[in-house]
Amino acid sequence: MSGVILAIETSCDDTCAAVVDHEGRILSNVISSQSIHDRYGGVVPEIAARHHLELVDVAVEDALAQADVGLEDVSLVGVTQGPGLVGALLIGLSEAKAIAAARDLPLAPVDHLQGHVAANFLAPDPFEPPFVCLIASGGHTLIAHVTGRDAFRVLGSTLDDAAGEAFDKGARMLGLGYPGGPALQRLAEGGDPDAHRFPTADGVAGLDFSFAGVKTALLYALRDRPDSDRADLAASYQHAIVEQLAVRTERALRETGLERLAVGGGVAANGPLRARLTGIGVETHIPPHALCTDNAAMIASAARYATPLLPAAYLGLDAYASGERGL
Amino acid sequence: MSDVVLAFDTATAATVVGLTGPGIYDPIVRRDDPRPGERPRHAQQLLVLATDALEQAGLRLAHVDRVVVGTGPGSFTGLRIGLATARALALAAEAELVGVSTLRVLAVAAEKGVGRDTVVTPVLDARRGEVFVAAWRAGQLVVLPRAVAPDRVGEIAREGGVGRRRLWLAVGDGAIRFREVLEPLGLSVPSDQSPLHRVDPLVLCRLGAEGEPAERTSVVPEYLRLPDAEMAFLNRPES
Ligand SMILES: [Zn+2]
Repeated sequence: MSGVILAIETSCDDTCAAVVDHEGRILSNVISSQSIHDRYGGVVPEIAARHHLELVDVAVEDALAQADVGLEDVSLVGVTQGPGLVGALLIGLSEAKAIAAARDLPLAPVDHLQGHVAANFLAPDPFEPPFVCLIASGGHTLIAHVTGRDAFRVLGSTLDDAAGEAFDKGARMLGLGYPGGPALQRLAEGGDPDAHRFPTADGVAGLDFSFAGVKTALLYALRDRPDSDRADLAASYQHAIVEQLAVRTERALRETGLERLAVGGGVAANGPLRARLTGIGVETHIPPHALCTDNAAMIASAARYATPLLPAAYLGLDAYASGERGL
Repeated sequence: MSDVVLAFDTATAATVVGLTGPGIYDPIVRRDDPRPGERPRHAQQLLVLATDALEQAGLRLAHVDRVVVGTGPGSFTGLRIGLATARALALAAEAELVGVSTLRVLAVAAEKGVGRDTVVTPVLDARRGEVFVAAWRAGQLVVLPRAVAPDRVGEIAREGGVGRRRLWLAVGDGAIRFREVLEPLGLSVPSDQSPLHRVDPLVLCRLGAEGEPAERTSVVPEYLRLPDAEMAFLNRPES
């Protein structure tokens, strides 16, 4: 197939546009982060949506310019339809639908989680299904059995917070700033992960996750033992989250009989998690950091394997906040 | 005017589309008005109605020379769907882009057939017990758009120089919703069924055709209100 894929992703607080060719080569991958949310201690949907509108045009033009292509070279438009913040998703979706319709192009609506999975199919190092995929970020935590390039089955997901959220909340309790993941990891480097026994949701059956217990445990530790070494607390807290993710991953590999693992989401940047997962001893694929966090190249990659819609079928498309779109 | 002008507004619950151009003798209008209590259908309807109007004229989106978009104030999400769509169409169809205040569209439609002394006050429901309001007299803006509680519209009128003897006309979904508050303040509100309460796509087309095209990224929504989180941040005790 000739031409390139233009993709847009605005499901949370990053305004992303990318150009990927039909062989999965990334020609550009633009990410405009909205650092404004830091002072609110989390993403504010209305503020995110306002920024997306300001940034999305520029992101699209930058993506085309960096790829050295024009709209006339685009043969397919991909866009995140959900899940995510609806007001934010609607910016990217409106932009993508209008661009595709004005150029009479097909459009592939993409599920955000399918996007994280599809980050593994990008060149130059595509990872072939079947594999087990752990996706852990500030917005979602789940473990999936990826059966093909356009299909996966969710084996387990979080019952409360996402793993990245647990990192952020723990960091806030420890007096670190937002976003807290990297700060907590730095503090933990000088601590003893075995100093405190924080729970790893052993009571949660199957492959689901829960981070409520470890959060409460940190809260009590800070309250009941205020003199505890903060680095020890950070290290133990991180260790509990990493163990929970890793134990479920091992269980999923066992249950599926697969010996191939892919990891996605912003939490994949966490050093101890990477070390623990690669230590499992199966073939493990972790895309570069910029492809693990939210980005539009992964949406283009998913669009590459999706069934594209013609204008009559996508002009009326709406965004969805949660759930899956029949995957 | 010889260009194909596609105009739309998504500031209110309605999705409103108008199309004018060479060979289009009767401007083509499409609109989707949700019934009271129904959710707006901007995302589902906007491009469907726009392409349907173009199809009636034998045209496609690529033929549009000028995109005109209502910039509100109004529903934040609705405005963003309209603005994102308008900007992307302008980019992809290489069309000019013009933003027009939704309040002004309502005012211009209501000014027809009223005396020069009449003050026209578009009032849009801003939710949370507030309205977006502005006022025009004889085509001149006399009160700048703002968000206020409906019972404060009286003060705003005095600020706009509204005297006792002037007729004062309020139109828009906020005028209907807060009729009981506005009428005792001396505002005259047409019957709920009056078309003056709804955004007229032909007025939007006309104002947009007269307007100066702008840089794409400079056409932005008129929010008139900060996000709640930002208000809370600015009002936090330690600041
Ligand atoms: Zn994500």
